Amino acid sequence: MSLNGAIALTRFGMGASPEEIASVSASPKSWLLGQLNSKNAQSFDTQGLKPSSEIFKLARAYRQDKKNLTGMAAQNANKDYSQAIRRNFQQEILRREAHATKTAAHFHERLTRFWSNHFSVSNRNRQTRLFVGAYDREAIRPFIMGNFQDLAERAILHPAMLSFLDNYNSIGPNSKAGLRRERGLNENLAREVLELHTVTPAAGYSQADVTEFAKALTGWTIGRREREPDKIGKTVFEGRAHEPGTRKVLGQLYSQKGGKQALKILSELCLRPETAQNIALKLARHFHSDTPPDSLISALKNRFMKTGGDLKEVYKTLIHAPEMWDAPLRKVKTPQELIISTGRMIGLERVFPRRSRDSYESLAQMPFSAPTPEGWPDNADAWLGPDSMMKRIEWANELAGRLPSMDARVFLKSALGARLSEDTLRSVLRAESGQQAIVLALMSPEFQRR
Amino acid sequence: MTILSRRQSLYLGGGFLVSSVSGLSFAKGVDSRKFIFVMLRGAMDGLSALIPDDERLDALRGDILPAKNERLDLGNGFRLHPKLEDVHKFYNSGEAAFIPACATSHRERSHFEAQDKLESLGQAGAKDGWLNRALQVSDKGGLFVGRAVPLAFKGEAPVRNWSPPMFDTPPDQLLDRLSNLYQEDPLFSMSLEKARNAEGFDMETTKRESRRFSREYTVALSSLGKMMSVENGPGVGMVALDGWDTHAGQANDLNRKFAALNEGLAALKSSLGQSWNQSCIVVCSEFGRTVAANGTKGTDHGTAGLMMLMGGAVKGGEIHGDWPGLKKADLFEGRDLFPAHNVSDVLKSVLRDHLGLDKRALDKEVFPNSGRGFDGLIRS
Repeated sequence: MSLNGAIALTRFGMGASPEEIASVSASPKSWLLGQLNSKNAQSFDTQGLKPSSEIFKLARAYRQDKKNLTGMAAQNANKDYSQAIRRNFQQEILRREAHATKTAAHFHERLTRFWSNHFSVSNRNRQTRLFVGAYDREAIRPFIMGNFQDLAERAILHPAMLSFLDNYNSIGPNSKAGLRRERGLNENLAREVLELHTVTPAAGYSQADVTEFAKALTGWTIGRREREPDKIGKTVFEGRAHEPGTRKVLGQLYSQKGGKQALKILSELCLRPETAQNIALKLARHFHSDTPPDSLISALKNRFMKTGGDLKEVYKTLIHAPEMWDAPLRKVKTPQELIISTGRMIGLERVFPRRSRDSYESLAQMPFSAPTPEGWPDNADAWLGPDSMMKRIEWANELAGRLPSMDARVFLKSALGARLSEDTLRSVLRAESGQQAIVLALMSPEFQRR
Repeated sequence: MTILSRRQSLYLGGGFLVSSVSGLSFAKGVDSRKFIFVMLRGAMDGLSALIPDDERLDALRGDILPAKNERLDLGNGFRLHPKLEDVHKFYNSGEAAFIPACATSHRERSHFEAQDKLESLGQAGAKDGWLNRALQVSDKGGLFVGRAVPLAFKGEAPVRNWSPPMFDTPPDQLLDRLSNLYQEDPLFSMSLEKARNAEGFDMETTKRESRRFSREYTVALSSLGKMMSVENGPGVGMVALDGWDTHAGQANDLNRKFAALNEGLAALKSSLGQSWNQSCIVVCSEFGRTVAANGTKGTDHGTAGLMMLMGGAVKGGEIHGDWPGLKKADLFEGRDLFPAHNVSDVLKSVLRDHLGLDKRALDKEVFPNSGRGFDGLIRS
């Protein structure tokens, strides 16, 4: 079994399942290249999951019902609604983790999660909470093999992002709606698109650029009108909220009318070298290590620039980069990566001691609940502080205590292949019990890294 | 003799002239002044905690307020929720004070944004929090008790973090073996050694208790107190307690929540031991709730909320600041308690008078959007 097989499955993928290293080792690169295919997005089972527009309607119906109810009836309606939303959210988590642990195309899954985190939305926002799962399926998953510009547009204009960063309530001061003083301008989305999603402060934009871009974005909102029932809960452009006039962002003038104006600005932001640098650095940091080699970053950046943000081409560069096949692997798994990679080895149903919620909560990474618009941190400092370390050990210890007898050596060899070190193997062999051997295996630096 | 920490020296060297350093004149270990921020996420209903004697409120709230004869009288036109018994005792012994109508500059009533605002209190788009910026201009260490360090504590200054366990504590023998396994891996071994050497909390008492709601606040607050009161323990601490968004059936809900908070604060006092006398604890939420009850016997998102100050260092037994009143015309947008005071101003004054942080640094760096501030919140 080659080291490269193990690298493909762990550095690029979400962790080996039994026998997988053996089958991928023959040609690890073609295994990866074979996943650069949007068909993989369709293998995600969406049966029974609600589209965002439907959830939006559900919430809306509840708000209307509530007005006519009082006392116990109102409290019961509140309970039913909260329960429905919670159940839907649970369903989204379960489906996503089931997919990640079972799919053969788990490099594709890693990329999906990478982009979900780049264009992060979170259930911390009450309105966005409704959409977080649907957002993943509707705005990210189907578009990660296309062009960055297209992906960015889908993500930024999805109802989840429009609510998360408040654009759905942002009104141009001189628009029809603005002149009636319905609400004001909200700069959140414009600011985060510039700072996090595209060019970063490296582009040297000013507060005026943020405001100008925010004005261009006014009008992009979530459909809420009764007389257009098929648009309710979907992305729409409403001219009456759009700030009229020409905008100037990063020195460029944009005289487009209506919704096209923001799209034009966004597409030019997406093609700038600072954006290419941002994406290249984030990809390299995510897939290689916290401090990736400059050579890898520039290779990715150059490919991004040369192809105008063709993501499939950028992934190919990542796969072929010699730096990606060096060892040892340094990147510390996030809690979700740890849980999924364990699930791929032993089956998800055996991973969770009780409810899955306890594991995510204890390890401080509940799905769909990133702490800020920046998404989850992507460095070991954030995930391997002393408290996090102890929580990982507690989790592994709890899990091992509940597993039926299992040979830790078999686990390690099939999970890590040639990545398994002598030290770890020796330590596991000397364990005083089968349970302890499993904890040592789960907590070994190799299994904790990818 | 003024002893500056390395961070302060860097700060001073960074181009800022500090006009007075008198407040910084304490050496590590000698000074035991503690500052603790208790954030109640979800918008605690301040009007149920500190209830004005005002018929208008009772009329607007119907039966969701505690019965009048059960409220704990403060003797000045305000009463406390009956479950806040220990807080009432603190007040009577001059160790608790209230500022009833405070808000950040957030007016949109979104939890998520308002919490970010309350935690950041910085320039637009700032990605760090005021507690961290305060650490950067003090010689205190920071400690967060909870699962992930929140925005308030994010920033350049290092912050310790500990959270109550959800699963059993691993046996020492297992930890020894892991230490051994990590010998060749500096990152893993350093993290494990630090975790094993974390001081000031008792694993056995916290084990599993944190899983039960009624004990959750107490476990967090008493762990924080224990860890802060050890010798050279951190001087700045924070916990965040969830569950205050009471849109429906809030009377029962708040009975439980205030009982839990009250128990937690009493436990914090006893776990701080002697340090309580030199502590200031600030308790507040991202915003307050509507003055009137809604259709589901709860209250909706409002504007101004209550700030509670507790601890031996607090100039207590009084209500500070202005009370904007509950007449329709006095309400913000006709529905919420009017924001008479800025949260930044209160926090700034506390950090200045209690931790002795430099006024200019507080104005410029820590609370760039603050105003004049308060006098007399801290005992001189």
